[in-house]
Amino acid sequence: MTASEILKMMPLIIVLATPLITMLIIALHRNHLTTMIVSVIGLVLAIIAIPYSKALDLTKIGELLIIDNYALFYFLLIFTATIAIIIPSYPYLEMRFKGNREEYYLLILTATLGSSVLAASTHFVSFFLGLEILSVSLYALISYLRQTNEGIEAGLKYLILAAVSSAFLVFGMALIYSQTGKMEFNALMQFFSNSSKLNLISIVGLVLMIVGFGFKLAVVPFHTWSPDVYEGAPAPVSAFIASVSKGGILALLFRFFSQYDVLNSKPLFLIFALLAVFSMFGGNFLALLQTNVKRLLAYSSIAHFGYILVAFLAGNNAQNFKGVEAATFYIVSYFITIIGAFIVVGIFSTREREAMSVSDYRGLYWRHPWLSVAFSAMLFSLAGIPLTAGFIGKYYVLASGIDNQLWTLVIILIVNSALGVYYYLRIVVEMFSQPEEAAETKHPSPSVGVMTGLILAVLTIALIWLGVYPTGVIGAIKISVMGL
Amino acid sequence: MYDFLWLVPTLPFLGFLILALFGKKLGKTLSAFVGVGSIGISALITILIGIRFLSSPPEGDAFVQTLWTWIAVDRFNVNIALHLDALSLVFTFVITFVGFWIHLYSVEYMADDESFSRFFAYMNLFVGAMLLLVLGDNLLLLYLGWEGVGLCSYLLIGFWYKDSANGYAARKAFIVTRVGDAAMAIGLFLLFYSFGTLNIQEILTQAPQTWSVGNNLAVIATLLLLGGAVGKSAQLPLQVWLPDAMAGPTPTSALIHAATMVTAGVYLIARMHGIYELAPVSMFVVAIVGAATLLIAGFAGLTQVDIKRVLAYSTISQIGYMFLALGVGAWSAAIFHFMIHAFFKALLFLGAGAIILAQHHEQNMFKMGGLAKALPVTFWTFLIGSGSLAALPLVTAGFYSKDAIIWFAWSAEGGNIYLWAAAVFGAFITGFYTFRMVFVTFFGQQKIDVSHFPKWTIHVPLIVLAFFALFGGFIELPGTMGHFTLFSDFLKSALPAMEEVAHENVSLEYFSQILTAVLALVSVYLAYVLYLKKPQIVTNFTDTGFGKGLQQFFLSGLGFDWLYERLFIRPYVWIARTNKRDFIDLFYVFLPWMSRQFHYAFSYTQSGKVRRYILGIALGAVVSITIVVIL
Repeated sequence: MTASEILKMMPLIIVLATPLITMLIIALHRNHLTTMIVSVIGLVLAIIAIPYSKALDLTKIGELLIIDNYALFYFLLIFTATIAIIIPSYPYLEMRFKGNREEYYLLILTATLGSSVLAASTHFVSFFLGLEILSVSLYALISYLRQTNEGIEAGLKYLILAAVSSAFLVFGMALIYSQTGKMEFNALMQFFSNSSKLNLISIVGLVLMIVGFGFKLAVVPFHTWSPDVYEGAPAPVSAFIASVSKGGILALLFRFFSQYDVLNSKPLFLIFALLAVFSMFGGNFLALLQTNVKRLLAYSSIAHFGYILVAFLAGNNAQNFKGVEAATFYIVSYFITIIGAFIVVGIFSTREREAMSVSDYRGLYWRHPWLSVAFSAMLFSLAGIPLTAGFIGKYYVLASGIDNQLWTLVIILIVNSALGVYYYLRIVVEMFSQPEEAAETKHPSPSVGVMTGLILAVLTIALIWLGVYPTGVIGAIKISVMGL
Repeated sequence: MYDFLWLVPTLPFLGFLILALFGKKLGKTLSAFVGVGSIGISALITILIGIRFLSSPPEGDAFVQTLWTWIAVDRFNVNIALHLDALSLVFTFVITFVGFWIHLYSVEYMADDESFSRFFAYMNLFVGAMLLLVLGDNLLLLYLGWEGVGLCSYLLIGFWYKDSANGYAARKAFIVTRVGDAAMAIGLFLLFYSFGTLNIQEILTQAPQTWSVGNNLAVIATLLLLGGAVGKSAQLPLQVWLPDAMAGPTPTSALIHAATMVTAGVYLIARMHGIYELAPVSMFVVAIVGAATLLIAGFAGLTQVDIKRVLAYSTISQIGYMFLALGVGAWSAAIFHFMIHAFFKALLFLGAGAIILAQHHEQNMFKMGGLAKALPVTFWTFLIGSGSLAALPLVTAGFYSKDAIIWFAWSAEGGNIYLWAAAVFGAFITGFYTFRMVFVTFFGQQKIDVSHFPKWTIHVPLIVLAFFALFGGFIELPGTMGHFTLFSDFLKSALPAMEEVAHENVSLEYFSQILTAVLALVSVYLAYVLYLKKPQIVTNFTDTGFGKGLQQFFLSGLGFDWLYERLFIRPYVWIARTNKRDFIDLFYVFLPWMSRQFHYAFSYTQSGKVRRYILGIALGAVVSITIVVIL
């Protein structure tokens, strides 16, 4: 490995080094705050390294990794999101967990590393490595609050189901390798594009890989784990699964198919379209009468990935990247809103339980006007109300769909947007309705730390900023996607 | 200086945000500083920009400040951009300048209200939305401002929401204007469909190339826009909301009637003049609407007993004049009257507010009286405002602006003698009901003791506005009196001029002017006789059956509420009641039922059992593989 290659990989290396350093620090001096601060510093350094890495010309690092603008864009997104999750985790853990809190950051950092490896991988090996680094960290993270039964249950469920899905994935890879003898994405897709018709075994291999993707993205019918896991996991970890973990996989999915026009392959198109349709309807219908906020967010996240798949279908290859552009913007706005929403859930949790029931939020406005306004902004964005990032994201997704005349999908998306508004607004209505007298004593006012409040404020401002002034981010996305 | 243009609409919005978020913590003094200060700085910047505009006009007589691109997808391209030309400058000036004095006045008027900061938050938002409307460079921003104005009027009319009557008035205003807004939205879609752009200037330049004069689409589009304009500007047939809008605090009325809201329709038509010129039919309709409205509202104003309702009908009537002027193509005359009207109408409302404050919130004029001595400043300024509204010849600004419209109603291309006659007759009625109000309120016996003597925060706005209501007219003098055309020359860059056509027949113009001048004086004298000297004439008349009926008819605003109640509301409610269980409704009942069933069906899969989950994954894989194998 040359020096410039090491420089190019600097963001990844820093994220790799941070958990190691953290581990050493824990060994020497166990302190919650120090660990958190060191983790944040590591991530900030990694972000600082990104522009330097961008300045270097070379992109390919050996066979396995590619650090192009696209990967760097996702690095930035993933690292920033992780910071926004780590900081509110501190008061959350302080309140809810008695045991050793420091290893939590270790695991989050390794999971982040896994997710960023996914965004940069161009090879089955690095893909699988990244995925497993991510998954294994998540098993432990999900059941980190080991005093709760739900946490243990969620962790176990995720372990079993993720193992099953990985089996599908690896078997798919094996089938493809057996037919093509290739594991590098570009070579693979060239092979597919050159052969006039894919042979059955390799296309079955692709389908099995899609099952693996589908599981991680939690699209129907591979979604069943997500509500149980979101509910059982600590709120910041749910935020992490919903954002960083899914973001890395999505980045890989886009890259994997970037040389291959899904629109032209009838069976693949049909499978993705069915996944999208089922996810949109399934997610929204499941969320409709849901009274548990964390499950509701899980279902809504299923629906949102259905929307993203529509954009993916609308344009995923070099001739037409509009769809991926739209999907990437959507992901950015989705990251902001879902992290913000889970932070609010975390803030309202008490030592004994998390604030999961919709009724916990009744009359919140009268007690915490700021928090409820921030939460409302998140929900409005998820519902796609104009002047929020969610609206622009949905608008771009729709525009890309219409551009490719995917009318059925577009109409289904619109119908589902209407469905979604119902359950998002239900929470908003709860927050702004008058509380009962007795409720005052039932919900002791949580205190919002300065840093958590700051993160929430930044997320809310970013949300509106993107809704009013999206051009800047869209420009950055255009540049990053161009190199795919 | 131009680069600071973006601050003009931003500051009121910022004021709104600060007041909305921190209002309670700020306290009254700071809230007042934020609320009044934001508009004040906006007004100051506008004036500085205006001076620069006058001394060295920008290239092409318009300054466009593109702030950023909101959305750009294929041909759909929306810039957040402000467009400043002579027309929007006049509007911006009036909105911020008059708005500032109204805000300052409100500090005293609302001093005892517990929702002090909420009031200023709404007022700032109102001004901000209106500024966005007139400065927006494309139809989307214009529409955003348009709807924002609608929302704020709702919030302010229903400001004292604890009284359900106020809530009713607010809803009425919102729903009635919504009827017009729906028409306008369709009109905007039509324009976008026809020209493929939302940029107003591009539409105006493309229109004459795409559409010939009298083109059907042009007529439809302009009529639809007119629908929006009559809704917001309270013109026939959607004028019914404005008299009820008096439910809001009086400064709100001043803001709605003078600086914002009701003039939005005038702005829309003036801004879209290029399209209206392609549709002479629509222009004619605009003129007819204006003439009919000014007469109907004038009649209604004759018998009102509530001082604010008199002013409300006078607003409808004066906006009618502006529509008349727009309809006959006298663009700059309409804008001139808009500006002068803003000065004197704001003055009158603020004066009325001072009176109401002094009379224990009594609004019935006939219970007042003799206030001239007790409230000298209010009296003299109110007199000036009334003189301007009644267009007393030579000394008031209203005379010059209204005279121009009356003359153009005859002499302009689209004018004729009937429109002129309506305008002249309307001027006569205006003078009569205006001075009826003055005599009843300020002369005769004082019936209620004065409870609140205004301080400087009320007096200064009154005096400043009175100054403009007197002397504002001298920037545009008719052809018969020196032909001084500063204002219309200024507007020439934005609106087509028309003096050349209209000033050919000098003797006729003299005749028209002298007639209106004499009629105005006669009407004042008549009011003096009937309401101060010999009030028994009126009471004798209203005691007869016919007189009483006529009085009631006029009092109810010529029975429009009655008519609409029977024509629309009752049939609508009846249909809604009887059709409660019809099949269309069944469909909508079915939808949530079906959604709920789907929810239960899907929930069943969420069993929490891992073996079921794995089964789901496996089934998904099997189905996917089957698809691949079959296809």
